[in-house]
Amino acid sequence: MAPQRMMFWQIDHVWLFYLLAALASSLFFAGIALHLLVWKKNAGSLKLPFSKAAFSRMILDTFLGRRIFKGEPAAGLMHLLIFWGFLLLLIGTTILAVHHYLFTFLTGTPYLVFSIAMEVAGIMLTVGIIWALIRRYIQRVPRLERSLEDITVPIWVLLVGLSGFALEGLRLSYDQPAWGGWSFAGGWIGALFSAAIAEAVYPAFWWGHTLLSLSLIAVIPFTKLFHILGAPASIYLQGLEKSVSSDFDENAGEFNLGDSVFFDACMRCGRCVAVCPSAGAKEPFAPRDFIQAMRRSLWQAHSPFGDIRFLFRDEKGEVDKNFWYCTTCRACLEVCPVYGASFESVIKKRMFAIEEGTQVPKLLNQTLEKLARYDNPWESSKKQRGAWAKDLQLPDLTRKGVDANLCYFVGCTTSFDDTAQGIARSLAKILDIAGISFGILGKKEPCCGDIARRVGELGLFHEQMDNCLDLFDRYGITEVVTSSPHCFHTFRNEYPEAPFRARHYTLLLHEMLANGQLRFREQEKTKVTYHDPCYLGRHNRIFDEPRHIIRSIPGIELVEMAHHRENSLCCGGGGGRMWQDLPSEVKMSEIRIREAEATGAKILVTACPLCRIMLEDARKATGLNETLRVMDLNELVLQALASDNADV
Amino acid sequence: MTERHIIVCAKQIPDPEAPLSDVSVDAENKEVVVDAPQVISPFDENALEAALRLTEDLDGRITVLSLGKKLSDTVLRKVLAAGADELILLQDDAFDKLDSHSVALALADAIRKIGEYDLILTGRQAGDWDSGQVGLLLAEILSLPCINLAREIEITGANVIVKKAHPLGFERVQAPMPALVTVSNEVGELRYISRTKMLKMLRGASSIPTWTMADFVSEKDRLQKMDIIELSSPPDMGRDCQFLDGATPNEMAEKLALVFRELK
Amino acid sequence: MDDVLILGEVKEGSLDARSLELLGIGKKLAEDLRSKLSILVLGDSPANAAAEASSYGPAKVYSVTHSLLKDFQPELWLAALEQACQEIKPAVFLMSHSFMGRELGPRLACRLGARLTTDCIDLTIDPQDKLVLRTKPVSGGNAIAVFKCPGPVQMATVRAKVFSPVERTEGAAEIAEIGVQIDQNLAKVTSLEIVKEEVVALDKADVVVSGGAGLGEEEGFELLEDLRKALSKSFGSVMIGCSRVAVDKGWISSDHQVGLTGTMISPDIYVAVGISGAIQHLVGMVHSKKIIAINTDPSCNMFKVADYGIVEDYEKIIPALITKLEDLS
Repeated sequence: MAPQRMMFWQIDHVWLFYLLAALASSLFFAGIALHLLVWKKNAGSLKLPFSKAAFSRMILDTFLGRRIFKGEPAAGLMHLLIFWGFLLLLIGTTILAVHHYLFTFLTGTPYLVFSIAMEVAGIMLTVGIIWALIRRYIQRVPRLERSLEDITVPIWVLLVGLSGFALEGLRLSYDQPAWGGWSFAGGWIGALFSAAIAEAVYPAFWWGHTLLSLSLIAVIPFTKLFHILGAPASIYLQGLEKSVSSDFDENAGEFNLGDSVFFDACMRCGRCVAVCPSAGAKEPFAPRDFIQAMRRSLWQAHSPFGDIRFLFRDEKGEVDKNFWYCTTCRACLEVCPVYGASFESVIKKRMFAIEEGTQVPKLLNQTLEKLARYDNPWESSKKQRGAWAKDLQLPDLTRKGVDANLCYFVGCTTSFDDTAQGIARSLAKILDIAGISFGILGKKEPCCGDIARRVGELGLFHEQMDNCLDLFDRYGITEVVTSSPHCFHTFRNEYPEAPFRARHYTLLLHEMLANGQLRFREQEKTKVTYHDPCYLGRHNRIFDEPRHIIRSIPGIELVEMAHHRENSLCCGGGGGRMWQDLPSEVKMSEIRIREAEATGAKILVTACPLCRIMLEDARKATGLNETLRVMDLNELVLQALASDNADV
Repeated sequence: MTERHIIVCAKQIPDPEAPLSDVSVDAENKEVVVDAPQVISPFDENALEAALRLTEDLDGRITVLSLGKKLSDTVLRKVLAAGADELILLQDDAFDKLDSHSVALALADAIRKIGEYDLILTGRQAGDWDSGQVGLLLAEILSLPCINLAREIEITGANVIVKKAHPLGFERVQAPMPALVTVSNEVGELRYISRTKMLKMLRGASSIPTWTMADFVSEKDRLQKMDIIELSSPPDMGRDCQFLDGATPNEMAEKLALVFRELK
Repeated sequence: MDDVLILGEVKEGSLDARSLELLGIGKKLAEDLRSKLSILVLGDSPANAAAEASSYGPAKVYSVTHSLLKDFQPELWLAALEQACQEIKPAVFLMSHSFMGRELGPRLACRLGARLTTDCIDLTIDPQDKLVLRTKPVSGGNAIAVFKCPGPVQMATVRAKVFSPVERTEGAAEIAEIGVQIDQNLAKVTSLEIVKEEVVALDKADVVVSGGAGLGEEEGFELLEDLRKALSKSFGSVMIGCSRVAVDKGWISSDHQVGLTGTMISPDIYVAVGISGAIQHLVGMVHSKKIIAINTDPSCNMFKVADYGIVEDYEKIIPALITKLEDLS
């Protein structure tokens, strides 16, 4: 007989198979339907726009597993084996069904090719799963969990694969076809059984394999295997353009379709936990736990059966209080294989808490009240806002007849904090030396609204945004440079259709350098390292300009910390944390300052007032005062400027 | 279950937590001038929080009263945004700078006009004149059981049970309602009121009932103003500071140790 | 009648220190009014306190004894005070701005038809109308106001540690017993339990080492505790204090708070570490005999009221200070 598959050999009651298959399919589709129901109930509608960019990203990430390779080649390869092994086997089984029920074509050479492909796929899957189990249970990779679901599912898949090989082996052992050598793996197993035993045990094995594989298909929507469908969906949805509306959207705090799909697609891989600075400082917050809790609460709210992941019942404590720890540094999004922005979900949860009112931490409550009353979170009088500049006689753009090309938007922290005021003075002097015409808003400078936005006070944010826009409009301000990456980020990304251009000062200095407006003196040979502020680097992808500036100063040698550029470690000041006092074992800023110390640099340079303050405090707290100095890039640049006026 | 009616007295005052550079003393008009938006007196906000917590567990209704010369919608609607059911403004020029007793008389009249109630909550003292009397006087005038300096309030059956401050620690007392309780900050900070809630309240259709003196005060001649003889900035508490200098912290510390030895 | 009457408080059987301060200011007022100074003590057995009081110079001591006055039940005390006042008919009645005084003062004033001023830091007599001019801090300490109130009895509660206590005198004043009719039914508020808590008696300390926002973190208080221990060897009772900011940040409990809404103290030495000196804090300790400030900000308010100052990071000073203190002892 030509090479082909023996279908249903010795299987009586084939009707039972069809029944089980129908049952399994029903369960599978029911589970999918439940997901769609929950998503629809949550988001209101399942309508999706089509985006070519999102679609092609989804295809590439799904089939090449790019995100899983990112930073971890072993994980990437392992997953690729499992993915392709499983996919090919699935396709193979489908082809077999087509051959059996529709038109016969899988005989002879096509069958041999098919057989080899299945062999290879089966081995890929088996190796992949075993590798996965080794990583999780023997190597014990820290970010991987070891719950009931985490052992059950891979073993289930493994058993399906191994039992499939066993069946093939049994058939070969009995049949001994001439072409049997092509099915090498099966053949090897087959050799373990005599033909007689093979014949005897085959039905049991067959039903066993059938039950295992059909039930595996059935439980896909009820376990983390849902990511098979969920992950591509999430990758697609997260790739769609997010619009920023200028009108206050009351539903901005609601989790949308993209969020709920992300929650369900989350495989609990833990890459977010591995990079989260909060988890790293052993604080009671981890993005993964938060996302799983959100998933659970969404299902409890919208599903008639509650949370259907019956194998994963772990509930981490107090996740509904600890989301105030998140600094919104975006490290999680940087590494999430399904592009889940956990910090955005945190901010949405904060919006709920703010509206509800009773779960807002006391200090934050007070800070927001002060922000609303005094236009700054520092309890400082509005009248003192321009006080840092009192000896500098800077043009006040709010005065009649005062005009300048550039508005220097100082920001709340830089205006009022003693340490951070140095940043403003330095930049003012630099611009002066370079002959750039600029002015400040002085007492009238409002808050850009960043803090309100990050802690979920959307109403206050919109008020402050409207204030800012009004002011800029009234005084005809079209060019803005900021000290803080937070102000810059907010202006650039969250002020829709802003009629002004906002830049962070590093972009301005970089341009000035390119134009020859900054000339540096030779400095004493010093090693410096640069801390990428989260809102300059990760959030806005500005990594090179500050480095270029530093490298342009002769005598200064830039060395990098272990975590730099998009992997930079948050200082702990963002997400409203500067104005709260959340207890933690270790401070994030202290972890970071020690990284700086490890480089052997004498100066730690940063480009954000919050980083400047947090790292300065950490330097004092860890006793590194003698060996390390913290400076803002402005301060470094001013020091190095070739001019008689440059006195620090 | 019977619906409980809780009345909260809330005073609008200049912000007691305003930055010092925004605060000045107007000796001529005998007023402390604060260049910042007015607020609800902090302990009165605590009283409101206590009332809100009580009505979370019970069927209840909260009426907030505020008495003054020129009351601000913006400031006081916060109580509605927080969850109070009704706000009544008792506004009249005649209410400017009344002494504590007179304020209590006026509030008592307003409360009598409102009708039945179970509990009256006031802050222990207001952040402007720091007198701490109105609540207690109100209880005397209305002949109500009075509990001072509450840290925790519960309603059980016909009684109010209060955990209150005590020199030895704390005391748990019980009184039959209607009763009056003055509240200290330990009852809890007022929950956060989002700007969205505030703006909704500010744009809210209904106007706030406002009563002038003629509407409710029974004997207006009994209301007296505070006789402020003088208002001045606090005296200079300055001393001549002797700075202990040194080339190193060790040197400075040594000098300080010697100071301690001298002061022994 | 027309006495300047002081309400004496009894603590553990004897007269409270604040009563002596009241006698101090009372004496002055009595002199200005050309009337008598007297003191009233109440309790279930105030005989001891009455005898003590009589040796501090009042013209007369009034004593009210009743078993129901054993614990502080405001309604019963008010009834007793009302009756005592009906008999004594004082022109001026002063109380301490204490836990009892805060409650009894206003409520009694209401019953007597008087107008009370609380928390006074000075009392003088207006020569024209013989009314008492009451001086008190207002607006959280941002201003000082002087009030005058009409009324049959001039009443005020007085801030602690502002007036000097009287000295013992020769002789003893007459002690007159006043009978009162009170019964338990008068008390509509019933006490269920009194729970003792570890209360930090900051106002009894000789030396207070206090920390504020400038400590930077909760652990800063550990360093202050080390200093406290070191100082305890040479000074009597040394305690830890703090500013409101430290309490708000959750670094320390509010028992330790010094200031307008905390405890007002005037120890022999007040060491302010990392405290900038907001007015609400200053009013709580500015009467300390000696004030020492350690802060990195040379322009902060605390240096303006300090006797000695060090402009340096406390983390560098305190350990060295402790070592030097040990060396010197």
